[in-house]
Amino acid sequence: MSVFEGTVFERTNEAWVIEPQREGARARAVELWRYRRLLWFLAVRTVKDLYEGMSLGIFWLFARPLLPILVGGFVFGGLLGLPSDGVPYVLFFMTGFVSWSLFDRSLLFGTRCLDRHKGLIKRLYFPRLISPVAGVAPAAAYFVIYVVLMAVVASFYLWKDGVLYVQVGPTLLVAVLMAAFAVFCALSVVLFTCVFQARHKETRFGLRYFTQFWMYLTPVFYPISVVPPEHRWLIYINPMAPVVATFRWGILGVGEVPLVPLATSFAIAVVAMAAGIWFFTANEASTVDRL
Amino acid sequence: MNKLTVDGIGKRYVLGANAEERKPAGLMRRLAARLRRAGPGDESQQSREFWALRDVSFTVEPGTVLGVIGANGAGKTTLLKILARIITPTEGRVAGSGRVVSLLELGSGFDPDLSARENIFLNAAMLGVPRAVVARRFDQILEFAEVDKFVDTPLKHYSSGMYLRLAFSVAINMEPSILLADEILAVGDESFQERCLERVKLEAERGLTVLFVSHDMEAIVRVCNRTLWLNAGRIFGLGDSEEIVAEYQNSVWARGLTGAEKGRHANRFGVIHDVRIVTEDGREVRGMATSDMTYLRMRFELLENHLLACAAYDVRARGQLIFRTADPLGMRLFRNGGTWEALMRLPHRFFNEMTYSVVPSLTVAREGDGRRQYVLMGEPLSFIVYAPDGTERKEKDFRPSGYLTPQFRWRFQPVEDKPEGAKAIERF
Repeated sequence: MSVFEGTVFERTNEAWVIEPQREGARARAVELWRYRRLLWFLAVRTVKDLYEGMSLGIFWLFARPLLPILVGGFVFGGLLGLPSDGVPYVLFFMTGFVSWSLFDRSLLFGTRCLDRHKGLIKRLYFPRLISPVAGVAPAAAYFVIYVVLMAVVASFYLWKDGVLYVQVGPTLLVAVLMAAFAVFCALSVVLFTCVFQARHKETRFGLRYFTQFWMYLTPVFYPISVVPPEHRWLIYINPMAPVVATFRWGILGVGEVPLVPLATSFAIAVVAMAAGIWFFTANEASTVDRL
Repeated sequence: MNKLTVDGIGKRYVLGANAEERKPAGLMRRLAARLRRAGPGDESQQSREFWALRDVSFTVEPGTVLGVIGANGAGKTTLLKILARIITPTEGRVAGSGRVVSLLELGSGFDPDLSARENIFLNAAMLGVPRAVVARRFDQILEFAEVDKFVDTPLKHYSSGMYLRLAFSVAINMEPSILLADEILAVGDESFQERCLERVKLEAERGLTVLFVSHDMEAIVRVCNRTLWLNAGRIFGLGDSEEIVAEYQNSVWARGLTGAEKGRHANRFGVIHDVRIVTEDGREVRGMATSDMTYLRMRFELLENHLLACAAYDVRARGQLIFRTADPLGMRLFRNGGTWEALMRLPHRFFNEMTYSVVPSLTVAREGDGRRQYVLMGEPLSFIVYAPDGTERKEKDFRPSGYLTPQFRWRFQPVEDKPEGAKAIERF
């Protein structure tokens, strides 16, 4: 046992209490910080689980988003001839679709997080809030791939038209901010839906139904400019609409930045997030019991 | 360092809640109930409630290895999961300090695709352990797990033994204040189990508190200073490991009787009233010194005259049958019924310093009807054997001296230098 003799023992002496009610928000935040490295591990694992056992793993990651983009671009831009604010329709559509699907996929993947991390949750303690946050990781992975595809399409048009439609500059930062905000919005909803999903497995299907409808309410396929100005508020009631529009503006410099609706969605998202954290925390124990 | 205080912990589950809730009817009912503000107090709910754990209170001093025993479903794992924060208690409070590391299921914090090196850090992240602690202990973890050669091999190529060794080694090296171990040591081979138990003992001396769930009574008695006996979610006993284990085993035995061997406590021929340890002068005692000469007294009642009966005892320690002994005369004839007592002398310097339990039995037959025999079993009795000077047992580890320490007669004699074969040849 000589190996252990030289080691200095540093046992942490921090006192803790386990009670039916969880400790306050501050203690939880500290705990969350202590477990921050787990977030990365769990996120990577969630992405890896998706493509585990597939021989063409990385290929699928690229192939899957390609089809809806090509079909969407062809149907809406080619056949229906929707206006696109002066940029090639495929590029226009992609910017909308990329930001929307970041939200949409975050929502759908996040909703399943407790199911996906079930094995771990039932065997190991970690702050459960990490699970929904790590759960949206696949959506982020898709987003990165979309962005790569977008760059490819943009360079295709640079070669074809000799015009770089993408505005390289500080506005790209706005796009990045919008992407982060889209995930934030999705998470604020996910905190509710993942709890429902653990109890009622059809939550996800219902949600998918709903988001498809929601997508048409959001200016993904069409520019906001086709809507008469006096009716735009109808579009901007949807909190995701300004996010998608601003993202597009950040990348392509077309359309507008609807400041007031954007501020409104931000306020809505913050309130929803606070409520979501409260809801998730309040239902944490009973949800874990049901898994 | 603070002690671990568990105060009135309870965990309630509502049976069938999951399935019920998923059905549309169940959903509607719940909604209706909520609208009527019936709340959780309504009757149908209460009848389906199940307490996996109730009113469990105890304290553990630092440096204690606490064994947790009980039948399946007694709430052992629930208790550990509450302490590990995996599930939240319905009521009660636990207070403690320091890092809690749990070994509840094998390899739960491991990713089979990652190598041992990566997994050690992953595990640390999952336990909320700072990176520095792991880096400092890295070599020791590998050394104890004996997987140094396979640091960079993905875990999916590991054998289950290697998995276990790594898991245990990671857990114990995370500098925990409290270690929760649930049965998993049973997977390892004997030499590793041995090393684990030794290491647990060593760490306990340095102030580590261990909660050790096991069905291996031998291991419980060997490493645990104290033992907690749970039954149907409640505490049945808490105290010295040997006594609790003996009581637990007696109860398991008694339950076996009421189950498969129902009604064998008594039959129409007789009944065993009790079995006691008595001294030379007839006093009933709970224990004895190794040097004492005592008797095992069985009181039984024969309900008919002219019965043949033979008394016997099974003596157990730590779950093992040590020996079985019966009246060497075999079936004796009892001309008269009524209450009898059988005294069996227990030799001195025979039992080791530990707790034994005896199960009395009586084989009864009618005179002239020799082939039909009936066996009666009695309530088991446990008794403690301590050192002759009256002090409590100090050395828990009985292995050097065994379950029994009988004295034998020895004889020494010189041997002629020529070997057997040579003698035979000479004689020829």
